[in-house]
Amino acid sequence: MYVSPVREPLISGEKSYSKVTEDIYAPMTGKPGKLWFGGLTLALIALGFGLFSIFITVWDGIGTWGLDRTIGWGWGITNFVWWVGIGHAGTFISAILLLFRQKWRTSINRSAEAMTIFAVMCAGLFPLIHMGRLPLGFFIFPYPNTRDVWVNFNSPLLWDVFAISTYLTVSLLFWYMGLIPDIGTIRDRLVPGLKKKIYSFLSFGWTGSARHWARHESMSLILAGLAAPLVLSVHTIVSFDFATSVIPGWHTTIFPPYFVSGAVFSGFAMVLTLMIITRKAINLEDYITKAHLESMNKIIIATGSIVGIAYITELFIAWYSGVVYEQYAFVNRAFGPYWWAYWIMMTCNVITPQLFWFKKIRRSFLATFIISIFVNIGMWFERFVIIVTSLHRDFLPSSWSMYSPTWVEVGIYIGTFGLFFTLFFLFIRFFPVIAIAEVKSVLKTSTEKFIKKGK
Amino acid sequence: MQQKAFVSGYYLDDKDLVEGIKALQEKNIEIADVRTPFPVHGLDKVLKMRRSNLPKAGFFAGAMGTAIGFGFQAWVFTEAWPLNFGGKPFLSVPSFIPVTFELTVLFAAFALVFGFLIRSGLGPGAPNIIFDEEVTNDRFQILLEVKSGNSDQLQLDLKSVGAEGVQHHDV
Amino acid sequence: MYKSFEFTKKIKSYLLAMIVIGALLSVIGIVMNLDHTHRIWANVLLNGFFFTAIAMSAAFFVIVHVLGESGWHTTVQRIPEAMALYVPIGGIFMLLVLIGMHDIYHWSHTEHLDEILQGKSGYLNPVFFSIRTIAYIVIWSLLVMWFRKTSLKTDSDNDLKLYNRQRTIAGIFIVIFAVTSSTSAWDWIMSIDAHWFSTLFGWYMFVSTFVSAVAVIIILLFVLRGMGYMEHINDEHLHDLGKYLFGFSIFWAYLWVSQYLLIWYSNIPEETIYFVQRIEDFGILFYANVIINFLAPFLILMARGTKRKLNWLIVASVIVFFGHWIDMYMAIMPGAIKHPEFGILEIGMTVFVLGIFLYSFFMRFAQAPVVPENHPYFKESFDYDNIR
Repeated sequence: MYVSPVREPLISGEKSYSKVTEDIYAPMTGKPGKLWFGGLTLALIALGFGLFSIFITVWDGIGTWGLDRTIGWGWGITNFVWWVGIGHAGTFISAILLLFRQKWRTSINRSAEAMTIFAVMCAGLFPLIHMGRLPLGFFIFPYPNTRDVWVNFNSPLLWDVFAISTYLTVSLLFWYMGLIPDIGTIRDRLVPGLKKKIYSFLSFGWTGSARHWARHESMSLILAGLAAPLVLSVHTIVSFDFATSVIPGWHTTIFPPYFVSGAVFSGFAMVLTLMIITRKAINLEDYITKAHLESMNKIIIATGSIVGIAYITELFIAWYSGVVYEQYAFVNRAFGPYWWAYWIMMTCNVITPQLFWFKKIRRSFLATFIISIFVNIGMWFERFVIIVTSLHRDFLPSSWSMYSPTWVEVGIYIGTFGLFFTLFFLFIRFFPVIAIAEVKSVLKTSTEKFIKKGK
Repeated sequence: MQQKAFVSGYYLDDKDLVEGIKALQEKNIEIADVRTPFPVHGLDKVLKMRRSNLPKAGFFAGAMGTAIGFGFQAWVFTEAWPLNFGGKPFLSVPSFIPVTFELTVLFAAFALVFGFLIRSGLGPGAPNIIFDEEVTNDRFQILLEVKSGNSDQLQLDLKSVGAEGVQHHDV
Repeated sequence: MYKSFEFTKKIKSYLLAMIVIGALLSVIGIVMNLDHTHRIWANVLLNGFFFTAIAMSAAFFVIVHVLGESGWHTTVQRIPEAMALYVPIGGIFMLLVLIGMHDIYHWSHTEHLDEILQGKSGYLNPVFFSIRTIAYIVIWSLLVMWFRKTSLKTDSDNDLKLYNRQRTIAGIFIVIFAVTSSTSAWDWIMSIDAHWFSTLFGWYMFVSTFVSAVAVIIILLFVLRGMGYMEHINDEHLHDLGKYLFGFSIFWAYLWVSQYLLIWYSNIPEETIYFVQRIEDFGILFYANVIINFLAPFLILMARGTKRKLNWLIVASVIVFFGHWIDMYMAIMPGAIKHPEFGILEIGMTVFVLGIFLYSFFMRFAQAPVVPENHPYFKESFDYDNIR
């Protein structure tokens, strides 16, 4: 395949196929460094605190949270939407960028997909525990029962059950199917022993047969074709949780694509946060280069700008509609008791990504890392602003109230970081962080210097 | 169990592999399998592989998901447990769309993945033989099946089309 | 090396015939409707907007590929580029709409506005509306012409810096277009149903015109192929165009459902009136719109093979093009003329404006080489594969 010489190489340094295997396998060998142990320990501590907070929630009840009339949803749902949103980047990179034939995805798709699975697991925690009577949680699934009732298929909350379950399942399948050839590579590096037996089992007997590869590509393409609308549908259905209501600031038709854009926006920011550290920590700087950085940052400007335009649209149409409640909702957001949350959101989401119009910033690892953190903070506040400001002051002023989280809610949120990073640290230790076979397939045309072996 | 034997040889570059395959085909030598570290561009054409039926399986499974998803919701909401929510009709098509869509995707995905694994004979504990552990690293391998003891001839053939590390394997 | 397009007398005469026939039918239609001038002006708006928006969406197609560092689009780029240059001409029709403003927009009757319309009159008033209309046309025309100038320069000048300039223009274009595509849709279309509002409307309109633009690109490619040009286009390029037609038709359907489902679900009368009116008075067209524009491209283009065959693509494209004309009809007519009417006036005006659009296209297409041969990504666009 001919690639224009004007294009920037995606992989730097001198690489042969075996060097690629060696580079990506290296972090899985030997003893893990102090940084890894340190990080894992911190993550486990956070997870432990989170588990304790969940225990308090289930044992003592939802009363230990700050929810009250009229704010029935607070940190719980904010965190749910935040984590689900982050998960969207993995599927976007795997599926949508595959459909658009973007070769640069091969260095980041594996870890982005893993991030998706971990993020969705963190997200799924919240609908479960916010139900209160957790042992009866299975009620949300449609199964024939002696109570002679079925679930309410017309509730967006139930659509969420189907959407998140399907999303978790399909993401897991997509991630694992992609991993199989790479696990085969790892299996073949190992000396006979327990580790080899385990990876052999996990590799499903992968041989590298051309027929299997052909089927694998065909399957991946169609899974990508399925996953693309799926990822759109999941955050759309999450947005329906709000938009199908009549609450000012919630009921607005732009929510579905606006939420999806915001999800990809925050997801890419998280991928960047993780990858910028990981590439340095496990010596994969040749594979995750400024070319990748720039492409990801372009997606951040694009999706961030779409979010910004959605904000402006909502403001304008609120005025245009002439509906006093709608107009007040936005005035309250900007100047009411939660004004600080609104302005953090605006600064982080609208202004910071626009910095990526400048090439120097777009191609700077440090600047990108800082901006990526701000984006994720901004997106957290966006969900907080939407949820809390619309609920704390809606139609009837005599019902207006305030909300603040309790330590239990904060503890659960910290716990999700613990869960996420525990899984992530385990992932980078026991699985190849970069898609070995996929990188090899673009190596010839996209590396700085390809070491050709053979004749 | 019938004793099988194979002869294998490898190349270190995917273009050389394709040339080697073409040369073997010219000699009318039947190729049992080709194994590579990544999917090689053009290999499916050279090996004249038939188009996989996986997409069809995915489509039908997806269609089944659509039918089941919509049908089940319709039954629940008109027959089994009709609920009056906001005065909307029991057969409320717009609100059935999300779950129908999700089940379509779920069914199609399962069909594709399990179809792929079953068709390719892959799974936990699958008894596939790895002839050369370097294939998953950087070797592009051709496998020829030994029939009626012609191992030496096959080995010569492979060497003549430029394969390296030509070996005999008893299974 | 690549056969240069010649805007022959033969093609010119066909198009002029089309324009004349369209004009005649339009005149007949206008005369038949002199007591019913809303219908006349609504049709001016429909065709004026539809083709102008398609032209801008075609420009957007090129722009977004430039920003994404895409290579394959260089093989077809000159088609949407030529389409985009229709914008100034489309602008003339939008200026005509300003003359007929009072027949289309209730808010322009400034003497008797109800409370709601009074609230909007800071934005929806004839003066500000006219200024915005003119501004959109002028700014859009300037952007399109600026980009075209740079693109043409690359044919004679090998300087790689020209492509940096293209990226800069693309960046400016996309920011301005992102905002104005929505505001223009609110102004020209949404304000017809002046008591209604939907935050999704701008994006919904944009995606509708974008997928129409892709369909038109494919149709024009088909026509040019028939004349013996653009033979360098291979199956991979067709596949990519097919993916766009397929994907964005589904995306359009998704936006349609989003808007409908949310308004249906919340059941707030000031919002639902929009759909109630359409279902009650324009029932068949209302459902036909979403069914044709979703099911046809979805079923035809789902299989890999059909996306790679021009004969299948053309079927899907023609359906999508006419389907989205109906979409535009459904956006404008219920508010403008209250009851469905379709006859010589509609056919005549569409043929007339389409004829002018095509004339502009072929004229512009002939003014440049059919491909930007010097483009650094041009060569690589012939050596890639879509997965089997």
